[in-house]
Amino acid sequence: MVGPEDAGACSGRNPKLPPVPAPEHAGLDGKMIRATGGFGGGVGSVEPPEEEEEEEEEEMPPPQELLRRYLAADGGQLEPGLCYCPLPAGQPRVQPPLAAPRSDASPPDAGSRHRGEEAADARAARHGGMTNGDSGFLPGQDCRGLEEARRLARAGGREPRHHRLRLEESADEDADGAGSPSDWAAPLEDPLRSCCLAAADADEPEGEGSGSGGSPASDGRGSEFSEPPGAGARGPAEGASPVTSAERTSGGEGAKQQLGFSDVHSNSRNTFEVSHRKSARDHLPPAGPPVPSPAAEQGPAGTSARARRSGGFADFFARNLFPKRTKELKSVVHSAPGWKLFGKVPPRENLQKTSKIIQQEYEARTGRACKPPPQSSRRKNFEFEPLSTTALILEDRPSNLPAKSVEEALRHRQEYDEMVAEAKKREIKEAHKRKKIMKERFKQEENIASAMVIWINEILPNWEVMHSTRRVRELWWQGLPPSVRGKVWSLAVGNELNITPELYEIFLSRAKERWKSFSETSSENDIEGVSVADREASLELIKLDISRTFPSLYIFQKGGPYHDVLHSILGAYTCYRPDVGYVQGMSFIAAVLILNLEEADAFIAFANLLNKPCQLAFFRVDHSMMLKYFATFEVFFEENLSKLFLHFKSYSLTPDIYLIDWIFTLYSKSLPLDLACRVWDVFCRDGEEFLFRTGLGILRLYEDILLQMDFIHIAQFLTKLPEDITSEKLFSCIAAIQMQNSTKKWTQVFASVMKDIKEGEKNNSPALKS
Amino acid sequence: MEAIWLYQFRLIVIGDSTVGKSCLIRRFTEGRFAQVSDPTVGVDFFSRLVEIEPGKRIKLQIWDTAGQERFRSITRAYYRNSVGGLLLFDITNRRSFQNVHEWLEETKVHVQPYQIVFVLVGHKCDLDTQRQVTRHEAEKLAAAYGMKYIETSARDAINVEKAFTDLTRDIYELVKRGDISIQEGWEGVKSGFVPNVVHSSEEVVKSERRCLC
Repeated sequence: MVGPEDAGACSGRNPKLPPVPAPEHAGLDGKMIRATGGFGGGVGSVEPPEEEEEEEEEEMPPPQELLRRYLAADGGQLEPGLCYCPLPAGQPRVQPPLAAPRSDASPPDAGSRHRGEEAADARAARHGGMTNGDSGFLPGQDCRGLEEARRLARAGGREPRHHRLRLEESADEDADGAGSPSDWAAPLEDPLRSCCLAAADADEPEGEGSGSGGSPASDGRGSEFSEPPGAGARGPAEGASPVTSAERTSGGEGAKQQLGFSDVHSNSRNTFEVSHRKSARDHLPPAGPPVPSPAAEQGPAGTSARARRSGGFADFFARNLFPKRTKELKSVVHSAPGWKLFGKVPPRENLQKTSKIIQQEYEARTGRACKPPPQSSRRKNFEFEPLSTTALILEDRPSNLPAKSVEEALRHRQEYDEMVAEAKKREIKEAHKRKKIMKERFKQEENIASAMVIWINEILPNWEVMHSTRRVRELWWQGLPPSVRGKVWSLAVGNELNITPELYEIFLSRAKERWKSFSETSSENDIEGVSVADREASLELIKLDISRTFPSLYIFQKGGPYHDVLHSILGAYTCYRPDVGYVQGMSFIAAVLILNLEEADAFIAFANLLNKPCQLAFFRVDHSMMLKYFATFEVFFEENLSKLFLHFKSYSLTPDIYLIDWIFTLYSKSLPLDLACRVWDVFCRDGEEFLFRTGLGILRLYEDILLQMDFIHIAQFLTKLPEDITSEKLFSCIAAIQMQNSTKKWTQVFASVMKDIKEGEKNNSPALKS
Repeated sequence: MEAIWLYQFRLIVIGDSTVGKSCLIRRFTEGRFAQVSDPTVGVDFFSRLVEIEPGKRIKLQIWDTAGQERFRSITRAYYRNSVGGLLLFDITNRRSFQNVHEWLEETKVHVQPYQIVFVLVGHKCDLDTQRQVTRHEAEKLAAAYGMKYIETSARDAINVEKAFTDLTRDIYELVKRGDISIQEGWEGVKSGFVPNVVHSSEEVVKSERRCLC
């Protein structure tokens, strides 16, 4: 609802801001429109002083503060925490949930202002850099975004103008009579400001749908408040819009943001589009073609910013835009499905307004909101989820609909504000999380660096003595520094087989000879009991498997740096151990060793590793041994995760279903490489028991999810683990697994496990007797 | 929310290593083709819903097995609980075709006392220029074993849907006729959420209609 403050705000733009085309100052306009009955966004008082505040905004102002600011700036629309940019010039204020078209109140001015805002937004969105909610939050990114915006602003003093002009043109075409070029041209005087605003707008998520950015002013950009917030407003459309609009509308803030936004706009139309699309989801008024052209976007963004500031006809334009948007938003709001602000929502109506419609609307809207045609979601890209797009636009109800009652408008405004607040909160949380992750990462790296010194200077030189001490074992658990990893693995795996590099060379040359002879003739020789066909198949298989080993790394494929090494090691091994031969899964183990060791050392470690009882049992597919391992595993499974154990039992989900892949490849196929190496580290320390303990750790980590799944989903899940698994989480789960069954440890249980499974009936769980 | 399906069939995909089992399945369940992908170690799992007739949906549980001979002793334990199977060979790899016989003999032994319906699939049919197995001889072999034959290409998405849906339809017919039935302790066929799981399609339709009013 447009309250007195709104009006005041509109006209009383922060005097500090140079006059700017209305659209930019979504905040202000938005405010007005909202006042008239848009939903959400309570009627706050616009405080011109917001602008200053924006500039001083600290990195993470307390939510209340932000909310206050936003509200103040945006006539109550802004929500705290959505996007705060410590940098002045209203840098990506996040998110920007574009305020849903505010709504009803949109006097012509508001419309025009909106339009301007939209333009600004468009521009902001374009900038893209800022639109990304992420950049809106992380200080570093914010700065970057801001800097970028600033740079743009500085560099593109001309831009806004330029864009504006272009926008005007396009606006003329498809905009709803966004006004004559001259209307837009007015506030060109302040390139810097308009630039910044554009950036801000850019941030406005497209989703905001506010015409900002996307369509040149035309679609009732007014509602595009969201645009203005462009700066960093890209945030999730959900609920973001209110904020953005808030931002826009806020006199000072809006203006400031506009500054930021317009830059953004000019920079990346793509992000703008995206953000536009996202935020536009529900509420976006048919903003016409989302991206008529970056220029167009920028134009409006810039002009809108200016317009916003200047009031006058800028406001007029912005306001004109509003009604349209408001209406759309309103319709969205009122229909249940439409209330999905962000995320995937089926295209509602055609958000794209044709220029004709926009023109009509504009013309029809002489100070009154007109009824925008149903719009489809402006977002084209539902898959895209802007990180912090808040593209909730609070629009006024179109004037040709019965006006909202004051209570209703208030209520809508409140809802809107709540949504925006929510979105903002979420975004803050995200930012916090990201920061935390980065901090942790730094810490980890430091730890590794200091650990490396210890390993190299103290432990390795005195391996025999030191490697079993408690201190070393604990250090070991933390993860071996990559530079000493290979060495420690070699030492830990040992060389019981007494293989020397010379021996490796011998087997390698034998393998090469065999390959040559196979390719030349079909040999009849049956060497060492292995049939020709088998060997040939092995050979062929090795070649094919190598090309399939860690394909994303591109190092083991033909022509890659380690292709031949891998081929050599596997080939030499089949010559060395014809009783085992080549088995799929081996290529992964050899590959990981190659990544950490020199060729000969890798071969030695490989051969010795595969000679361990567990590996030998599995690679030879020794059924009874494998069953023994599975049975022992189940004892500890039941001990540690009894609920999940029963759940699996109820589905007859036996360990072979998921353990085979894990044990055969030592997790190198199932876990991210760096995490697999951590597992190998402790496997080298603790032996085969750790492989099964890791399996239990994984089950524990995902216990809650697994308890809700049925057989096929569990099987699918465990054979394709999520990629975002972190070493901290996994290792803390592994640490929580107690490898103790009453008084017995792994080896004891293993020794005492009885099985009465017939050979070949692998899919039955063995009966266990303790 | 689980879609309502009439039955769940467990299918197993077998065949020599590198004939393209995983690719075929991925093309069918995920709609994509990856030129290079990891070798299957053990078993991989996939699922998909197919609508064999309007309103009749079957949920498919697909078990993708490692093809290497070494793994056969593991994977043959899974035949028994599968109601259907796709036996793949690579039309550009004669040996993979020659091994079909072995695969079938093995399944015959290990599927007892249950039944399994197989379809012979000549895969990589897009590589016709490198063909080492004629369609004619493959059809002959299939007929000898009472199977249908189909040529597919995961890369070019040729007959991928058809291979799975035809097999599913064939199994469904057998289930309807009562030749294959749901049994306690057998995972091959499970019934879905539709009440009155019937073998007669008319009845199913009728009950559906009733529900609509």
